[in-house]
Amino acid sequence: MSTTGHATTDDAAHDLMTKAYFTVFIALSIFTAISFIANEAVRQGWIGVHTSFVIIIGVAVIKAVLVGYIFMHLKFDWGKVYFIIVPIFILGIMMMLVFMPDIVIAWQPGQHPLEPPVSTTGTR
Amino acid sequence: MTQVVFDKPQEHMGLPLPHGKVAMWLFLVTEIMFFTALIGVYIILRHGTPANSPFTWPAPHQVHLVEWIGALNTFVLICSSFTVVMAHHAAVKGNMKNVTTYIGITLALGALFLGIKAYEYNAKFQHDILPGHIGESLPIPAKGEHQDGFSLSDLQAIQREKNSNPTGMQYVHRVTDQLNAIIADAGADAKLKEDCAALVDEMRFKTAGVDEKTGKPVLGRDGQPLTGYQAPLSPGEVGERVNHILHEHEAKEPHLTPAIPFGNLWASCYFAMTGFHALHVFGGIVIFVIILLMGLIGKLGPQHASLLELTGLYWHFVDIVWIFLFPLLYLV
Repeated sequence: MSTTGHATTDDAAHDLMTKAYFTVFIALSIFTAISFIANEAVRQGWIGVHTSFVIIIGVAVIKAVLVGYIFMHLKFDWGKVYFIIVPIFILGIMMMLVFMPDIVIAWQPGQHPLEPPVSTTGTR
Repeated sequence: MTQVVFDKPQEHMGLPLPHGKVAMWLFLVTEIMFFTALIGVYIILRHGTPANSPFTWPAPHQVHLVEWIGALNTFVLICSSFTVVMAHHAAVKGNMKNVTTYIGITLALGALFLGIKAYEYNAKFQHDILPGHIGESLPIPAKGEHQDGFSLSDLQAIQREKNSNPTGMQYVHRVTDQLNAIIADAGADAKLKEDCAALVDEMRFKTAGVDEKTGKPVLGRDGQPLTGYQAPLSPGEVGERVNHILHEHEAKEPHLTPAIPFGNLWASCYFAMTGFHALHVFGGIVIFVIILLMGLIGKLGPQHASLLELTGLYWHFVDIVWIFLFPLLYLV
């Protein structure tokens, strides 16, 4: 009796997981289509570049979270592995930030105007 | 007499996870750092291009990237992620026949991804969109075309930097060889050959006098006889004319290297990021082949559920990397 009960519970859990996997698969497919459409919308002039950028990157983050949370079982394992994952994300973001001042900000308008060199010939 | 007794706290060795899973997560975080470096470099270089300049980071169509092909590859990897997680699920349930089927489908999808990537790489080779090959210089657009938002001094500084770049002359030599190859090609279109010959003629240093071959006076770019000399075209001017030929004869797809400002940086980033990602896909395929063979000879059992879960973790990570590469390279 109890064995049958366990089997029924396990089957229900498996069915639930199968449903979750399939839902995530459909969601990932729809999100991919959304990012593609957002890119096309910029070309057609329906939305601005910045709006499209936010949509596309936002969709990518949501897709990555869905894959990690459901497919990679972080829903169950996050509490056991978060201390391995979180520092890497902090370091990754820091790595990009430390290069920003020299490479990105230096080119912004008005920050460092680039003047052509002054000619040294014919001054006398 | 009262006696104090301290309970010794129970000691736990390691994490409440199988060793294999801990090892896989440790491996994956090193991989996260590796791809963060590659993607981070791309983002920084891309946003490090001058803000007020007519020369911007290459758009996908300039470097022959087709958005729907990238989207298709994304869908292929998403499908493979679904099948690999279903393979693990089937293994937990003990349905090994389904495991073999799902792994076979995942393997096929991984191979399809690499096939599409190979098709894209072939297009890059055909159009010579390769690191170090692309012309970086283009003449400053005529006043009025991009007059808002940048100063002449900015443009002069950019142009000076680009003209002093030794890759400019390498580009001119490469294009000269390509133009001569088209001119010598008996099967090439007559108008294309004519345009290529005209460009080769413009690229030469000329002095006033009589042409030895035709016996007529040497003509300048304006079609009038030269009175002094004519300097060869600068790398930027050569790039502009090559781009014009490529645009005019787009359907014939002549093998000429285009001039795309920041094109070499783009190509380096593209091949580094997609190349290392493809290597990871190939690594996954090798593991899937082993699991598939185990399934086909009946060596795969429920005891291998952990193997399938770890392989799945790796494969999902490869999928996540592509989830970010696709928008960064093909869309935004």
